[in-house]
Amino acid sequence: MAVERFLQPRASSWMANDGSNVDIAMSTRIRLARNLNDFKFPYAFTEDEALKVDKEISSVLLDKGSELDYTFSHINIDELAQLQKEVLVEKHLISPYLMNSYHPGSVLLSENEELSIMVNEEDHLRIQSLQSGFQLQKAYQIASELDTLLEKNLSYAFHEKYGYLTSCPTNVGTGMRASVMLHLPALTMSHQIQRIIPAISRLGMVVRGIYGEGSEALGNVYQISNQLTLGKSEYEILQDLENMTEQIIQQERKAREAILLNSPLMLEDRVYRSLGVLTHSRLLTTEEAATCLSDVRLGIDLKMIQNMNMSILNELMIFMQPAFLQQYADKPLQPKERDFARAKLFRERLNKIDMNSEGEDLA
Amino acid sequence: MICTQCGERSASVIVKKQQLGQVMELQLCHICAAENHSINIAFEQDPLAIHQLLSNWFPNSQATISRPKKEVAICPSCGFTFSHFLKLGKFGCASCYDTFSSQLNEIFKRFHNGNTEHTGKIPASYGSTLKIKKEIEKLRKQMQVSIQEEEFEEAARLRDEVKRLNVTLEGGSPDGS
Ligand SMILES: [Zn+2]
Ligand SMILES: [Zn+2]
Repeated sequence: MAVERFLQPRASSWMANDGSNVDIAMSTRIRLARNLNDFKFPYAFTEDEALKVDKEISSVLLDKGSELDYTFSHINIDELAQLQKEVLVEKHLISPYLMNSYHPGSVLLSENEELSIMVNEEDHLRIQSLQSGFQLQKAYQIASELDTLLEKNLSYAFHEKYGYLTSCPTNVGTGMRASVMLHLPALTMSHQIQRIIPAISRLGMVVRGIYGEGSEALGNVYQISNQLTLGKSEYEILQDLENMTEQIIQQERKAREAILLNSPLMLEDRVYRSLGVLTHSRLLTTEEAATCLSDVRLGIDLKMIQNMNMSILNELMIFMQPAFLQQYADKPLQPKERDFARAKLFRERLNKIDMNSEGEDLA
Repeated sequence: MICTQCGERSASVIVKKQQLGQVMELQLCHICAAENHSINIAFEQDPLAIHQLLSNWFPNSQATISRPKKEVAICPSCGFTFSHFLKLGKFGCASCYDTFSSQLNEIFKRFHNGNTEHTGKIPASYGSTLKIKKEIEKLRKQMQVSIQEEEFEEAARLRDEVKRLNVTLEGGSPDGS
């Protein structure tokens, strides 16, 4: 089945550790929302229409993807087991919304997993382009090229005044959501993040922790994205987000220097304790793993820890999640059993000597 | 607020889940949240619960802005009414945008910092005509500014440019050939 290759605990290219400012900006994502003109949107369409939409879109991608050098795999969401869907969500290849959708939907995935096109999510089309590091322009360019290809072969719902028409009024216009995932341990430790978040929001951008609005970010990972999709061009939106992200990155660097200057021993102790937990514990909760991963990441960035491959940490952030662990163990796991499996996974991956940045099987 | 899952610890995380078109709100402690949702970065959740915002702005029939001219505007293509749109926070089809257009400026302004018009990418199939129309609009605005600043030469240049584009729009070719 086409889905198998995407379920493997192998790293997608966006989990690799390259791109600019990758020590702080972990990954970049562009999403374009599009709808076809001749069909009702997913909140109103019939099952029959949903199937037709899927057929129209996927046939274009399967036939013409090669024009842009892509080979896509088409995966029907209905045909997946619950655990398989969860694994795709954990890998960010489909959204939780599509996983729970009650009408026919599918996803088309490029081989390197940088492009994921969801069909019949909240809109007929959600083009998602993922890149490692801080690469807004590149991620947009890839999404936009695919968009242009699709548009040549499909009739989009587009309005002279409102732009690309979407199900939700928050997406209309460019239909574009651009986001950067940032690792901000020093701004979090020094409590500066609480001051920065409202300032960003006032400038029309949104900051989210892992749990969504208003919650503390797990593993000090924050996502910053544009909120406006009307009144600004894609170029202006990306420019604004890029400027803002650069400023936050600078602030984080300053905060790191300050901590290193003021309490180097405490920081070093914290980093090495966390490394100890990741490499030696027998039970590891998600929360503890995320916190320790954050510390170890910081330790690598500050050159306290040498000879550890950052891309393995990126992979572990994905593979330590419940669905992945259960697929790895090949059976349902209770929370305590998951903690055991998670600890085992970390020990195996981090204590291995010749670490392979391409990612390899966990066994 | 006590965690709805374990009922022990105090809830620190509010998770909004969308299931079967319904938005459910779970109040979880950090431990249950971590177990439940793991590290799934909510990549694709609405920034806010849209329908909640909309219904706050337009509480029932006491709309803070005028209702559609015809009290019951129904989208001819998908059958959504304006109040159904408000309740769901979502459009049913492309025609909804025209059906409810008298209300949309107000709504879009609030979501998009006062903006109501798209200025970004245009599909090639709509391309040439729409691009020209937008260009004409832009030139006209510049022309107004030039006139106000008494830069009449510049204004005349812009006027000629608009003329030229209008000819193109009507299918003629700008240089008359
Ligand atoms: Zn709890
Ligand atoms: Zn409609």
